[in-house]
Amino acid sequence: MTAINEFSVAIQRRFGRQKIRKFVLGSIPFILLIVLWHMNSIFLVFEPVEIPPIADVWGAIFWLQSDCPGVFAAIEGHNGCQLTNHVSSSVGRVILAMVVGVPLGIGFGILAGMNRVISAYLEPIGVFMNSVSGIAWIPLAIVWFGVGWETTLFIMLNTIFWLLFFNTMMGVRAVPKVLVQGVQTMGGSKLDVILQVYLPGSMTSIITGLRMSMGFGWRALIAAEMIGGDSGLGFMIFVSAQEFKTEEVFLGVILISIIFLATDRWLLVPLEKWTIERWGLVWKPT
Amino acid sequence: MTGDAKLIVQGLSHHYPDEYTGESVHALQDINLQIHDNEFVTIVGPSGCGKTTFLNIIAGLLPYREGRAMVDGVEIKGPGPDRGVVFQEHAILPWRTVNRNIGHGLELRKVPKAEREKRVQEYIDLVGLSGFEERYPHELSGGMKQRVAVARTLCADPVIMLMDEPFAAVDAQTRITLQDELNRVVMATRRTILFITHSVEEAAFLGDRCIVFSRRPGQIKTEIKIDIPREERLWKDMVNNPKFTDARDEILSLVRSEVTNDDNS
Repeated sequence: MTAINEFSVAIQRRFGRQKIRKFVLGSIPFILLIVLWHMNSIFLVFEPVEIPPIADVWGAIFWLQSDCPGVFAAIEGHNGCQLTNHVSSSVGRVILAMVVGVPLGIGFGILAGMNRVISAYLEPIGVFMNSVSGIAWIPLAIVWFGVGWETTLFIMLNTIFWLLFFNTMMGVRAVPKVLVQGVQTMGGSKLDVILQVYLPGSMTSIITGLRMSMGFGWRALIAAEMIGGDSGLGFMIFVSAQEFKTEEVFLGVILISIIFLATDRWLLVPLEKWTIERWGLVWKPT
Repeated sequence: MTGDAKLIVQGLSHHYPDEYTGESVHALQDINLQIHDNEFVTIVGPSGCGKTTFLNIIAGLLPYREGRAMVDGVEIKGPGPDRGVVFQEHAILPWRTVNRNIGHGLELRKVPKAEREKRVQEYIDLVGLSGFEERYPHELSGGMKQRVAVARTLCADPVIMLMDEPFAAVDAQTRITLQDELNRVVMATRRTILFITHSVEEAAFLGDRCIVFSRRPGQIKTEIKIDIPREERLWKDMVNNPKFTDARDEILSLVRSEVTNDDNS
């Protein structure tokens, strides 16, 4: 008994009481969902083709990878490695769209935030583009680029760019003028002002923009892969559903959420901690 | 005559369009002023008299067309490192540590790191921020933030320091401490300073010369010399110094008359 107590005290010291509490409370709905899911496989309220047993979903990982010769083959994109190919295809598109879309969105956002003339040109079309749901472009993109890589990339790029553009522009406008004047009166150039004032000063908005881009971007990407793609998790879900392989659909949906959560946890949260939290720009309940 | 004048202003007037009505506002009228090397000049006047407009013109943040303004013989055209500004609000960057905020001016001028660090440490010690070098502004009190702002401007070593009500936003107790400290720093480093304030006491306490602005359009109404050596300017002594109290009362009545005029019009 004392051993268990010591263990629990050690865990509380390591992670902090509040964090453990939050984690436990947040886990409860998931645990309930898993229990219900498992009950269904015992009592068969829904047929396995409608809701497959947990073991089948787990098994689908190995089934989809059964022709894969090994880890290196999976990295190289061997034809047999279906699951890892779909995952890397989706993740690859997200990374590519981010690498291109984020600097462009932030760059134009800063210019428009700084300059009334540029924002007069770009703001109305930004509002227009943001009001059109990203997936509404899919049919048109298929006409332009055909089914495949370019269509999915275009859809995601289009979603990311306008969100980041808008958020960055708003963030730059909210930067106190006196910070800019301070750098100017110390002899700072326009580039100094952009890099040392506007960019860090709009970081709160930029991170919001990144978070929205990731959310909306992933959704748009999955939809684009379903309709206009030839690979990726969205494509896999769509094809599997047509063949009534529901366990593969479940696996795809779960993987999408896990990847999305992972990018938030390991990319955006650290970025947030490293920048705006350290600078005291986040409101925190005390 | 203008041999050691650091700042020369001749016949400076300023009009600007009102933000809402678009009507032309007459902010400044024929300002003539010289500030000499190592002189501490304060400007005091009723609110809305154009004193901040004047400082912004000298800082190069506001373009002017009527009259001339020169620093070290060079016409003012836009902001530059020869004029360091301490603003009323906190203008230090939240994303830079105390160290990097104070060294910012030197960094922008590409002063080598070793020399920069040496100078920064000097000013950190001077304004009493030792031990806070790696802190971010949000971890500091209001008074400490203004100390960083003052040290940042001092460290950049401008020809003239422009201070725009720098202590207006801190509490009364801190303000007195900061004023005493500023005196000490000015003694230690010999600076040329133009200091804007709406506080009559502050103007008389800090200035070698105090310039009283009229209400809008801002004109130089009078200039009062306050002939008290810097070493004697400590709050605990000043309250009993007749030179200080006389100057303060004189400035106060001048500013008062401007405010009363304003009420009657």
